[in-house]
Amino acid sequence: MTISIWRYSHLTLAISSSIFIVLAALTGIVLAFEPISNQLKPYAVKHADALSLSKTVENLRVEYDEIIHIEKDKNNFVIASVITKEGKNETFYINPFTAKKIGDIIEKAPVFKFATNLHRSLFLKSTGRILVGFMSFLLFLMAVTGVLLIIKRQGGVKHFFSKIIKDNFNQYYHIIIGRYVLIPIIIVTLSGVYLSLEKFSLLPSEKKSHDLNEELLVGTPKIKIEDFSLFKTLTLNDIQRVEFPFSDAIEDYFVLKLNDKELLVNQYNGTIISEKKQNLVALASSWSVLLHTGQGSIMWSVILLLTCIAILFFMFSGFTMTLNRRKNSIKIKNKFSKDTAEYIILVGSETGSTYGFAKALYKALIAEGKSVFVSELNTYSSYKKAKHLVVFTSTYGDGESPTNAKNFEKLVGHVYQNNTLKYSVVGFGSLAYKGFCKYAIVVDSLLQLHQKFIPNLSLHKINNQSFEAFKNWASSWSKGKGLNLKIEKPVNTPRPKNSKLFKVVSRSMVNSDNSFVLELKPAQKLKFNSGDLLKVYPKNEQRERLYSIGKINENIVLSIKKHEFGVCSGYFSKLKKNDMVLADIKQNKDFNFPVNAKEVVMISNGTGIAPFLGMINNQDSNSVKSHLFWGGRTKDSYQIYSELIDKAFYSKKLSGLYISFSKEESQKKYVQNSIVEKSDLISRVLKNDGVIMICGSIAMQNDVLETLESISESKLNRPLNLNQIKTDCY
Amino acid sequence: MKRNKTIKIISLLMLFMLLGFKSKVETTTYKCMIQMTNYSGEGAYVIISLLNPEGEYDKTLYVQGDDDEWYSEITAWWKFHGKRRADIDAITGATISGGGRMISVIEIENSKIDTGYKIRFETVVENQEYYKDDVEFELTSETIKNKIKGKGFIRYVRMMAQ
Repeated sequence: MTISIWRYSHLTLAISSSIFIVLAALTGIVLAFEPISNQLKPYAVKHADALSLSKTVENLRVEYDEIIHIEKDKNNFVIASVITKEGKNETFYINPFTAKKIGDIIEKAPVFKFATNLHRSLFLKSTGRILVGFMSFLLFLMAVTGVLLIIKRQGGVKHFFSKIIKDNFNQYYHIIIGRYVLIPIIIVTLSGVYLSLEKFSLLPSEKKSHDLNEELLVGTPKIKIEDFSLFKTLTLNDIQRVEFPFSDAIEDYFVLKLNDKELLVNQYNGTIISEKKQNLVALASSWSVLLHTGQGSIMWSVILLLTCIAILFFMFSGFTMTLNRRKNSIKIKNKFSKDTAEYIILVGSETGSTYGFAKALYKALIAEGKSVFVSELNTYSSYKKAKHLVVFTSTYGDGESPTNAKNFEKLVGHVYQNNTLKYSVVGFGSLAYKGFCKYAIVVDSLLQLHQKFIPNLSLHKINNQSFEAFKNWASSWSKGKGLNLKIEKPVNTPRPKNSKLFKVVSRSMVNSDNSFVLELKPAQKLKFNSGDLLKVYPKNEQRERLYSIGKINENIVLSIKKHEFGVCSGYFSKLKKNDMVLADIKQNKDFNFPVNAKEVVMISNGTGIAPFLGMINNQDSNSVKSHLFWGGRTKDSYQIYSELIDKAFYSKKLSGLYISFSKEESQKKYVQNSIVEKSDLISRVLKNDGVIMICGSIAMQNDVLETLESISESKLNRPLNLNQIKTDCY
Repeated sequence: MKRNKTIKIISLLMLFMLLGFKSKVETTTYKCMIQMTNYSGEGAYVIISLLNPEGEYDKTLYVQGDDDEWYSEITAWWKFHGKRRADIDAITGATISGGGRMISVIEIENSKIDTGYKIRFETVVENQEYYKDDVEFELTSETIKNKIKGKGFIRYVRMMAQ
């Protein structure tokens, strides 16, 4: 399936950089906590911003021998580097009001060191940095292509922020979150790229140096530092860093880094000897660092954190969408070529979901013995034997064609059609979009104007992939064609693995107990035994249902009671001969026929007879004497099983058959009553190491076990040996 | 044989005594300023070492930059330091970026002045050059007061006895 250039680039970028981006996002999540934890440290001093520089200097000079520099870090904590009275050089956080040390400089925690290295260079030093910088740029491009995709989808820039239609979880949140974190992503990626470029000195250097006014380098008048008028007017809020002169020499001066400029100040009289404005590169660099790392702002750090999480979600949802799209667009294996088919189905689909409907119609037509050919609108060509054309198409963006229908308009103009075809167009879309089925309308009008096409049905629009609406269309479409289409709902939920196909060989009527017998033939060779279980997954449900099975001539025999609201039994009851069933077989060795036993008694009620139907008809069980007890409601209930039981009886595979009816006029007997009547048989089997198998309802099992217990006690003078009992009840 | 043993013990004792005295040698602390050039890129790692008259590393006086991932890039020093794995007290965290200055306090034994010992300033910047002897000069009473120009990332070095 062709996909648009933007989606293609978006996807290619994502695939090629996925590992790096996942790593960067994961480490980014870790790193977002560094500025947050730093900000939470207790080194911020209230009202310190308003304190004048002169007061700060004065306080420090009382406390220490010499000041080397005063600095404010990204968290606005005040740092002083001093030489202490003991002559040691120390750097620490201070309270500028008291000049006292309030903490050691925050050391980067090992986890942050590790994450930082991985984040910016993948431990590959320079090579890694180049890679990461490049990947950052790719992520930026992804954001850009993503924006273009949203614009296209929403039908123009103006609708960028209008409501998004929720077709599917991944798609919906991919777009919703995409809109929210778009700006943070652009900021993060561009600042990342900038930082990489900077580290490799690839940025224009416009480093101006100070233009020193030598004339101002004089030692008079000598003023105390605390009295410098400049120092009195500057507060800690204005200052980033103050470097004190190295020595008393007049050539040494103060260096004051303010928020927007750098000043050199005469150390004797406090006059400004040079002023340098901060240049653009330096400004961009400091902003890049702040924006990329979140330093100094808990709020921005949190935004960065969420952005990283969102990026991980994009990777996940994006790839899921791609996989789904690929799965949806799996081409139908056409049995007929375009020139031999009577029915032509053409599909226009952006996401592939429309294919499901095409598939359903294809299958239904094939089942009716029709020749069908399915393809994309883009492959429109001449169809030699075609009589019917069906177009299924969705609409992309604001009424545009899906990507795999782009060439249709052109093709339909100059491809010559031999026959006159009856056509029907079905549009798929959502009423939530303004251009609902707009492209389908275009296709319909193109065909209307075409000489070789006669409308069969008027344009049919389907909202939100409604299957009912589709079925309605299909029935009106098939009317007059003498078709009896059975449209099966496209299955969206993936089938559990290992599902196998079974064909319905025969089925009985539903009896007065609402029960019926089904015989299934596995499509492939399968190993299984009577007593194993058939796992069936009801439509669109993951929870499995289990049915005990009998095995006759390699086929499966099932006995099913139809429950009023039973999804599975309801499904089974509607099956007809030759229908296909998806299911799996689960081994149940504990309930297979005990080939080594001398004698076997099988006890069941209702549909619990199914595994025994197989066992008594098994050729190998000749040597083992077997007896079957069965309890049902009425004589009529027995009819559906009689054929299989008679067969076993006449071929001498079954030694005894004891049936009881609980709701019959002539007899109100339960299976346990028959067992009591045959207590001699039971005690003999128990005594001779035989096996008793029970299958059916739990209530019956309990009653039967009680009966067996009392037989064992009274006839054999010993408690029931449970090792001789096998059960499969529900 | 017995005598031999006694001699060994005595000489060992003398060695310990010598070492004990050695730690009481006179030293001077110097305030040392390194002014960097206006290079761009990451902050520089700076290592100050003392070299003996044979030009071999004698002692690491100061290390600026604590990310040991990059220590091996400072090849000349790493050969010495890496083998000996000496504990270095004077390691500070932040590297120094272009145009910045660093002031540190280092301690040098007085006996190393005017006796052919040298001081070396090595610099390295991530993804950029490594200067084995950005600044290197013989420690004399005169040179130690001078402003010494650097060849690489260091513009100049100044030292001042405290």
